[in-house]
Amino acid sequence: MTDTLRQPASSLRRRGPRRRPWVGLLFVAPMLALFLVFRFLPVVGAFLLSLTDYRLSGRWTFVAVDNYTRLLQDDLFRQSLVVTLTYTVIFVPLTVLLSLGTAIMLQQVVWNRGFFRSVFFLPYVTSIVLAAVIWKWIYDAQDGLLNAVLGLVSVGPVDFLGQSGSVLASIAVTSAWKGFGYSMLILLAGLQAVPKSYLDAAMIDGAGSWQRFRYITLPQLRPVLFFVLVIETIGAFQVFDAMYVMTGGGPVRSSYSLVYLLYDSGFKYFDFGYASAIGLVLFLIVLIVSLVQRRLVGRDD
Amino acid sequence: MVNLLERPKVQDRTESPRVDRRPVARLTLPTLLALTAIVTVVPFAAMVLVAFAPPSGRTFPDALNPANFTFENFERVLSSSDIPRWTVNSLLYSLVSVVCVLLFASMAGYAFAKKRFPGRDIMFWAFLATLMVPFQATLIPSYILVSRLDWVDSFWGLIVPTLANSQAVFLLRQFISQLPDELFEAAEIDGAPEWRIFTQIVLPLIRPALATLGIFVFLWHWNDFLWPLVIGQSAEMQTLTVGLATLQTQAVPINQVMAGATITVVPSLLVFGLLQRYLTDSIAMSGLKG
Repeated sequence: MTDTLRQPASSLRRRGPRRRPWVGLLFVAPMLALFLVFRFLPVVGAFLLSLTDYRLSGRWTFVAVDNYTRLLQDDLFRQSLVVTLTYTVIFVPLTVLLSLGTAIMLQQVVWNRGFFRSVFFLPYVTSIVLAAVIWKWIYDAQDGLLNAVLGLVSVGPVDFLGQSGSVLASIAVTSAWKGFGYSMLILLAGLQAVPKSYLDAAMIDGAGSWQRFRYITLPQLRPVLFFVLVIETIGAFQVFDAMYVMTGGGPVRSSYSLVYLLYDSGFKYFDFGYASAIGLVLFLIVLIVSLVQRRLVGRDD
Repeated sequence: MVNLLERPKVQDRTESPRVDRRPVARLTLPTLLALTAIVTVVPFAAMVLVAFAPPSGRTFPDALNPANFTFENFERVLSSSDIPRWTVNSLLYSLVSVVCVLLFASMAGYAFAKKRFPGRDIMFWAFLATLMVPFQATLIPSYILVSRLDWVDSFWGLIVPTLANSQAVFLLRQFISQLPDELFEAAEIDGAPEWRIFTQIVLPLIRPALATLGIFVFLWHWNDFLWPLVIGQSAEMQTLTVGLATLQTQAVPINQVMAGATITVVPSLLVFGLLQRYLTDSIAMSGLKG
């Protein structure tokens, strides 16, 4: 009796963990279940929903690609694409320059570096909603901080958020303020990894500080810079929170982004099929940006 | 060996001869740095000043006069809005998510790193693939799923769908796979049950990774907006971010909005102040992104 009991145990021990697949499966099980239900199912669901006219009631019929043909004819969709692209074109260079600039300064200045690093990172730990609430007031035409400052030099008042010409740039500044600390840290690590011997050698050869930056630091930094460029671009295409809080998409839809249209289609008009189709367009854009990055970086290696 | 997530010590290169020795050039950069830092902090400072300024009159320059400091805005916004309730909701949403994500993701990470089981590689690949899909793209099906489960406007609906965090699984798998196999084999030979190996060997060894990841998961949930906006439909289910956003659309005076904003930012700042070493040191290594 005791022998039969002992035997399987000892054979298990000898064979080690690799012969007991259920152990691994049990450890994965909770996360796997969550994934299957709340990640994979919605991904498949998004695609299937976009082929239906699913409504709030739960009733639906198969409409094939109708939602997509509707998208192509929808002026609001075209408008939201233009707004999202314009925002991205303003936001990405702004935030990359800001984070690169602060990273370079931090690397050059030893004085209180840890302190300054924390200060620049501070806005990142707050929410975009908080940033939007504060900056909405800063931009305010009657009572805002920026117009109070401009008033000192007899300029303005400027209605930054009330004009279609300035609204996207104003929101981009808010988002850049909120998020640049993150990219700054990544770029700072990249800068610190540039071999000092290269820079010293160039200096002995008589290269000035701009030349050293342009021909040594920048090429060495390229992969990191590219990573930052891609995550900021992907983030820019998903812009919503700041616009929802600061402008409500206005004035006259001039800050009405793709995700805003998705949100309204889904939760204002309960047109779930159409909103899913917009979600798939967003996914395609993000996918293309990632693939372009992979190709460009792959070519480098 | 426990500090694997921290950035390896990079030799300090700032003393390089690049730093110009001329006094003017030596001062330009620090000045510029200090100015940038001031501009970065001004919005926070303005928020606090306005929050303590008297509710009548222009916010500037009145807010700059320390004689006018008042707690009135805080009292009013606390009594007229549901800030305590929103805070409890945000705390529950964030803390429960942190505990569950850390537990489930470290279990899955351990299995992916150290166990062999059928379908492991395909599963892991699929986990990674979902990182490519932006959350907004699956917002509608996720919402429909939650409403079918009758979880709309409940903590179940708010929390459970956000626990499937593939980034956490990926990071912890990377971290655990660096632990030496001999450790686990020795424990197996000693006859330790699997669950004890996990809780008494794996978990203590990955504590630094859990700390960093925990902070990020907390901040992601604390600052999350779109999902709580969609799921928390009644006033009792709103989180702080959603509440703050509604507060400033409801013709609440700006001083009170700023007082509310000041209250919401305190927990983030506390987390940041206490744990910023973990945060700033690990980002460069792992590329965590909220």
